[in-house]
Amino acid sequence: MTKFYWVLGIVAVVGLAAVGYSVGSNTFGAAATEPVVVEGLDDPTQLMSLAQGITKGDANAPITIVEFADYSCPGCGQFALQIKPQMELQFVQSGIAKFVYYDFPLISIHPHSFLAARAARCADDQGRFWEYQDQLFRNQPAWAVKPSIEGDLMDFAGAVGLDEGAFEACVKSDAYADVVSANLRLAEELGIQQTPTLMISRGKGMARRLMSYDFPSIQSVIEDMLAEIEAEKAGTPPGN
Amino acid sequence: MSENNAPPVNRMAITILSLAGFFVALYMLAHSLGWTGPLVCGVGDCATVQSSKYARIGPLPVPALGLVGYLLMLGTAFLGIQPRHRQATMVSRALVGLSTVALLFSGYLTYLEAYVIHAWCQWCVISAILATLIFIAALPEWKRLGGSDA
Repeated sequence: MTKFYWVLGIVAVVGLAAVGYSVGSNTFGAAATEPVVVEGLDDPTQLMSLAQGITKGDANAPITIVEFADYSCPGCGQFALQIKPQMELQFVQSGIAKFVYYDFPLISIHPHSFLAARAARCADDQGRFWEYQDQLFRNQPAWAVKPSIEGDLMDFAGAVGLDEGAFEACVKSDAYADVVSANLRLAEELGIQQTPTLMISRGKGMARRLMSYDFPSIQSVIEDMLAEIEAEKAGTPPGN
Repeated sequence: MSENNAPPVNRMAITILSLAGFFVALYMLAHSLGWTGPLVCGVGDCATVQSSKYARIGPLPVPALGLVGYLLMLGTAFLGIQPRHRQATMVSRALVGLSTVALLFSGYLTYLEAYVIHAWCQWCVISAILATLIFIAALPEWKRLGGSDA
């Protein structure tokens, strides 16, 4: 009987120590989870060079679709999972449009968004930005409400086949805190107040900001722009 | 101490195995609640399993069910070791029921890993092995079911 209590005690001590160590460990240490001060953001020219979108599709495509999004925002998740695939299939893969993603982490209501945005850019270092972004949006309902997301970010890194050591070092180093901060500032300067916000342009004139992110709205704007481009090529105003 | 009143070895085994299972479930639950860093996963693909829709049943993380199950088996088996409850049929009934449910539930989760998610999580496998061992350790309880309540 004494031996039994000894074994039980050893299992209890080892179990408590292992779980306690695991809970106490902070993978990312003091990594930046909020916007940082970046020199030059007040200068529009510098802001445009500091803010960096990530592009998918043909760089020479006539139409550009820009999205400002937050990884914790449910609407952004819905757009990413339900509408963007259709949009990519029809317009990006066909070479009609390129898609550019900018971060707009609304940390006042989504405290993990800034860290998630940095993590996605760290995944981009290894050429897996879009795969990582997909993981973030797919699993958003689970991680976005947690008190800390370090474990999830590392899990997603493993799921998309990243070198986890390099990824962890990137997130720990505060890399891309300046870029995400610049993207956030760019969104503010553009007067963007909600996520996701889509803007579609064709290189000339003002970009059109969509008030909704459903596929028919996107399709309609792109088809209008394609008609304008065709009309310009033909030397006639659109609609004639 | 008479032979009949000796502490049942199988219940001691269930107590120890359940305690181990409790800590496995606690670790998984802590991870699913965001209290830990990444899962230590030397073998398999824990990330795929833990991020699948099968990692939750409604709003409840699956490890929470495991935690409750192991805790119940731990408490029941420990109670069954105490002299005044060694002959209790209720203890045998509870251990038979709990260990059977645990085995069936572990079997279901293992099936999901093998044929639906197509990925293995070492902690789920460890939990399934513990549930199987607990079920085996609970087999003598089937014989005791004919005993009288203390």
